[in-house]
Amino acid sequence: MIAVCLKWVQPHGAADDRFAGISAADQSALELALRTAEARGDEVLAVTVGPVGAERALRDALACGATRAVRIATEPGVSSLRTATALAAEVDAADVVWCGDYSADRGSGSVPAFLAARLGIDQALGLIDIEINGNGSHIRAVRRLDGGRREVLSVTGRAVLSVEGSTARLRRAPLRSVITADAASITVRPLESPDISAADLVPYRPRARVLPAPASANALDRVRALTDTGAAPSRTETVVLEPAAAARRILDALRDWGYLT
Amino acid sequence: MSRFDADAIVVGAGPAGSCAALALARAGKNVILVERGPFAGSKNMYGGVVYPRILDELVPNWWETAPVQRWVVRRSTMILADDNAFTIDYRTPSWGRPPYNGATAYRPDFDHWLSRQAVAAGATLVTSTTVTGLLRDPAGRVNGVRTDRPDGDLSAPIVIACDGVNSFLAKEAGLYTATDAANFTVGVKETLALPRSVIEERFGVRDDHGVDIEILGGTSGVNGGGFIYTNLETVSLGVVLKLPKLTAQSKRPEEIIAGLKRHPAIAPLIEGATVQEYSAHVIPEAGLSMMPTMVTDGMLVAGDAAALCLAAGIWLEGVNFAMASGMYAGRAAAAAIDQGDVSAKGLAGYTKLLEESFVLADHRKLKDIPGLVLSDRVQQKYPGFVTSVIERVFRVDNPNPKPGLRRIVREERKRAGIKLGDLLRDGWKGMRGFG
Repeated sequence: MIAVCLKWVQPHGAADDRFAGISAADQSALELALRTAEARGDEVLAVTVGPVGAERALRDALACGATRAVRIATEPGVSSLRTATALAAEVDAADVVWCGDYSADRGSGSVPAFLAARLGIDQALGLIDIEINGNGSHIRAVRRLDGGRREVLSVTGRAVLSVEGSTARLRRAPLRSVITADAASITVRPLESPDISAADLVPYRPRARVLPAPASANALDRVRALTDTGAAPSRTETVVLEPAAAARRILDALRDWGYLT
Repeated sequence: MSRFDADAIVVGAGPAGSCAALALARAGKNVILVERGPFAGSKNMYGGVVYPRILDELVPNWWETAPVQRWVVRRSTMILADDNAFTIDYRTPSWGRPPYNGATAYRPDFDHWLSRQAVAAGATLVTSTTVTGLLRDPAGRVNGVRTDRPDGDLSAPIVIACDGVNSFLAKEAGLYTATDAANFTVGVKETLALPRSVIEERFGVRDDHGVDIEILGGTSGVNGGGFIYTNLETVSLGVVLKLPKLTAQSKRPEEIIAGLKRHPAIAPLIEGATVQEYSAHVIPEAGLSMMPTMVTDGMLVAGDAAALCLAAGIWLEGVNFAMASGMYAGRAAAAAIDQGDVSAKGLAGYTKLLEESFVLADHRKLKDIPGLVLSDRVQQKYPGFVTSVIERVFRVDNPNPKPGLRRIVREERKRAGIKLGDLLRDGWKGMRGFG
């Protein structure tokens, strides 16, 4: 099974859904999911986590050729981790999970990564070019790296793939499919994954502990005793050496400062 | 189900289309409403007043849910000359209370709302789909539409074309004889943002009450008119320009709007406003004389597509004609389906409903007015004549005695180069035409 995860974006909030829809990246993901499934002779599951209006995205997906559609019911604003956990339960049987690289609203782009982690399968994120071979068993994916460099990935096993909006243009749904999809049944499931409490997300901080008052009579010494981490204070030093000795000295300094091991 | 995809297909989810679909769905018919935009109203730029009285028949207490901007409680007709203006102003708080009279509305809001009424009644709305042509059976009767989607043919015994001004479907069906640019105007509008309190101070209204100002003159010599409508936090200001006259001179529509905005009577109303939107649309303004045949075998035409737009000077209406004609088209179609006769004869009930209601009655009564209002004398000579008469009536020119009204009219008429015969003729035409 091929899965595609679609995020319902409401640029004007919940009260006005006229401009709501899925991001260009999600449209590409849907198109690529359909192409992969066509090549493999497989079915496509479209999943969204969102309010009832998000079913329009699923109906569009069904009209374009998705086989099944599931909405995990929630209000907008659920954290990426929770969204990914809910999606993972739905798509755990999928061979390839397609996602948009990030949505047009919050756009942290973290759901695909969390999803891959939850599913325990490979991930290839932020892809800019996709080629699917004849029987859909091999996907050649190009990933954008820093400095204009590219990474070419060969995907043959199970993976979560997230794509940019330029990778594929979503096909136009046939008219009759649009009309049938309007009345198609959509599975709705409650969001069961537990919310991650704020306390779990706070960075590690050691507990406060009682220290004996420093003994010194000098105030500066007492402050140092309380705050000194033991690191040597930085200082500037000018030395004149022979080239070979200078190189050794630089290397030693870098080692001291922790830049070399 | 029969060999058809639906009982009826309505093309265009504007006020005409949504009301047609609503009427058909209420009659228990399976109706598909096809809209080219991503949602109903998304392609609309109309900035005028909607008079939804006819909706009493379709959506009881529509004013409780319809998304309007301001209820019009004040109507002004302004006559503009070079730097002066004469305004007739009427206001009543009763138009600001249920059941209301007219309202300014953003049509992307209003049309969307109306289309949801049709969907709630059971119509199927298909958006982002453009109808590209008609389908016909071997006998030549219309029995469906072709759309731009793959597998895009839809069949139904009846097609109701509500595809707006310059209707390609009505033309394809041969319902229009010829297209004459002189029958059309182009409406050009700026949506100007001002704080709500500023609008209420400048236009003298409170709460959700608003103003409708219609302007004669001020269009840089191009036959047409101007308008100002107050929305909650914007003012719609624009001009309507007769096409042949617009093309016969060198000014562009935005320059003509700029000229109107600079007029001393207009400038203080919109000072400090920022332009949020500029849009333009063609309007069928010639009334009865340009209307197509409304009915053919398997097809009806409603709304702007049928040129059902009333541009009769003091009455500028269109959305109500669209809603009513759509509703009647839907009802006539439902009746024809029940009778099992969707030929032009079976659908003739539509024309009858239009004739019996204001839709065609108003147009018949006012058939000479659009031509008169856009005529050269009314446009070029009368505004200056009227304002100069008013100026002299109100000017105190002591120690000279007051000249007397008759003398002022005679002198100003001569100065404006208006022949007495023409003035009397136009006056008589107006008296008769306005009924």
